[in-house]
Amino acid sequence: MIDSLINFLILGTIQGSIYALLAMGFSLVYGVGGILNQAHGAFYLITCYLFYWCYINLGGFGLIVGIVVGLIVVTVVGGLVYILLVKPLKDSHVGVVIVTFAFAFLIEQVVKVSVDPLYHSMPLLIEGSINVFGVKVLNHYILVVVASLVIVTLITLFINKAKIGKSIRAVAQDAEAASLMGINVDRILAYTVMISAFLAGIAAILYVPIDIVAPHIGWSILINSFAIVVLGGLGSLPGSVLGAFIMSYANAFVNFILFMPEISALIPIVVILFMLILRPRGLFGKKEID
Amino acid sequence: MRIIIKKIAEFPSNFQSYFRDWISTFRAKVTVICLIGLSLVPLLTQNPYFLGIFTTFMIFTIFAASWDFLAGFVGQVSFGQAVFLGVSGYVTAYLIRYLSFPWWLSLVIGSIIAVIFGLIIGIPALRLKGPYLALGTLAMSLIMYQVFLMGSLATMWENAFGTNLFGAEGVSQITPISSDTVVEYFATFLIMSVSLLILTHITKSNVGTIFKAIRDDETGTSASGINTTKYKILAFMISGLFAGVAGGLFAMRFRGVNPGVFQPLYSFYAIIIAAMGGLATISGSAIGALIFVFLGEILRDTQDLSLLIFSIILILFIRFAEHGLLKPTLERIQELWDIVLGR
Repeated sequence: MIDSLINFLILGTIQGSIYALLAMGFSLVYGVGGILNQAHGAFYLITCYLFYWCYINLGGFGLIVGIVVGLIVVTVVGGLVYILLVKPLKDSHVGVVIVTFAFAFLIEQVVKVSVDPLYHSMPLLIEGSINVFGVKVLNHYILVVVASLVIVTLITLFINKAKIGKSIRAVAQDAEAASLMGINVDRILAYTVMISAFLAGIAAILYVPIDIVAPHIGWSILINSFAIVVLGGLGSLPGSVLGAFIMSYANAFVNFILFMPEISALIPIVVILFMLILRPRGLFGKKEID
Repeated sequence: MRIIIKKIAEFPSNFQSYFRDWISTFRAKVTVICLIGLSLVPLLTQNPYFLGIFTTFMIFTIFAASWDFLAGFVGQVSFGQAVFLGVSGYVTAYLIRYLSFPWWLSLVIGSIIAVIFGLIIGIPALRLKGPYLALGTLAMSLIMYQVFLMGSLATMWENAFGTNLFGAEGVSQITPISSDTVVEYFATFLIMSVSLLILTHITKSNVGTIFKAIRDDETGTSASGINTTKYKILAFMISGLFAGVAGGLFAMRFRGVNPGVFQPLYSFYAIIIAAMGGLATISGSAIGALIFVFLGEILRDTQDLSLLIFSIILILFIRFAEHGLLKPTLERIQELWDIVLGR
C-alpha cells in the first residue's frame, strides 16, 4: 500500500513536470496567436525520433548529439511550420486546423517509413538511483523534475522580462495595436511557435527514456495537452502548469491506487467533458464575452 | 423537426418545378452524365475486384460528404467523424452477425444510433468554438478507440452475452449485402445517390441558409433571433446520419469492423477526400473519393508511403488550392462546352 502511494507521488510528479512543459507551449501558441496547433504532438515526435535515431546510430555519444540535434531541428521546424503553413492561412481557422493536422499525420508517416512502426525504448539519461526513506528513486526522475522546474522558471522570466517576451505579451493582448507600435507580429508569432516546439522537444528528451518510442504517441501527447489546457484555462500559463499536475496525479491515482491502467486513457476526455460543462473557461481562464 | 416535416409535405409539389429548373443548368447535365456513367460500370466489367473498388469509392463519397456538410456548410470542423463511422459500423455488424437482422434494417438501426451519437457529441461540443471543436472531437474518437480496444470490457461483454463486441478483433465474418458484387454495387450506388441528393437539397433549403449563416457569422445569426444551438445540434445529427450510413456500408463491404475504424486515420480520410473535391461542395466528395480510392489502390503495397503521399497532397491542397478540384474543373468543362456549342 505504502509502496503504491509513493509510486503514485513520484510518477505523478514526473508526469506533471513533463506535461507542464508540453501544455505551456501549447497554451502559449493559442494565447498569443489564437492558433490551435494540432502539430504539437508532431513536435514531440520529431525530437523523440531524432534522439532515438542518433542513439542507435552513434551509441552513448549519440545521446548528447541527439539532444542538441533534436532541439535545434524541432525549433527550426516549428518556425517553418508557422511561416510556410500557418501564416498564409491565418485568416481561416479551419485551414490552420486542417493543415496542422495534416502535418502531424505527415510526421507520423515519415517516422513510420524512415524508421519503423515498432515500439522502442531508450536508456536513461543518467544512470543510478538514490534512496529516499527506503524507496528507490531513479536519478533520472530527479533530473526531470529539476530540469522542468528550471525551464518553466526561465520561460516565465523570459515572457515577463525579456524584450521579445514583452512583445509576445503585447501581441497576445492586441495584435493590431502591437503592430502599430512597431512590433513585427508575424516574427513574434514565429518565435512563439518556436518556443512551443522547443518546449515540446525538451519534454520529449526528458520523457522518452521512461516512456516508449512509437509513431502514434504524438496523438496522446496532443490530446493530453489539450485536456490540460482546457482544465487550466485557455491561454493561461500558470493554469496549464497547475492543470498538468492535476491531470498527472489523477492519472497516477488511477494507475497506482486503483490499479486500472486501462481507464487512464479515458481521463483526458472525462476532464474535457466535465470542464466544458461546469466551467468552460477553465480554472484560470479569462472570461470571454461572446 | 417541424421544419423537416413541413419540407417533406411540400416536397412533391415543389419537386416538379424544381427539377425542370435544375435539369436546364450545366451542373445538372454533368451530374446526370456522371450518374449514368457510374450505373454503366457493371456492363463494362463484372470483375469483383474492380466493382469492389467502385463500391469502396462510393462509400467514401458518402462519408466525406457528411464531413463536408458539417465543415463546409455549418463551419463545424470535426475530427471525430470516425466515431459515427465506427459506431454505426459496429452496430450494423453486430446485428447482422449475432442477431441475423437483414442488412437494410441493420443499416437503418446503425445509422439511427450514429444520429444519437451525433446528439451526444453535439451537446458538449457546442461549448467548443472553432478550432477547439476539432480537438474535442478528435479526443472523442481516440477515446472510443481505447474503449473498444479494452480487454476487460471484452471479457465482460463475452461473459454477459456470449458474443464478441469489444476487443482487438472486433466483429468479423459478416455477410455482405449480397454475394453478387453487381447487386452490392447497385445497392451502394442507390444509397450514395440518394444521400448526396438529400445533402445537397438540405444545403439549398431554408435550413441550409441558416447553416451557412451560422458558418459565416455565428454571433450575427444568434442576434437575428435564430437559436444557433438547435441548428448546430441538428447539423451534427444530419452529419452523423450520413456518416452512419457510410459506416454500415463500410462494415458490410469489408466483412467486419475492428477498433481501428475509430482511429483519427478515418477522419483524416474524410478530410482529405473533401479537401481534394473542394470544401462546401457536397458532390465534390465524389471526385475526391475517386482519386483517393484509386490512388490508394495503386499504392496498396506500401500503405505507410501512401499515407505519406496523401498527407502531402492534403497540405498542398489546403495551402494552395482552397477550392479543390470540382469547381475549377467544372468551370473549364463549361468553357469547353460553350466553345463546342459555338456560343
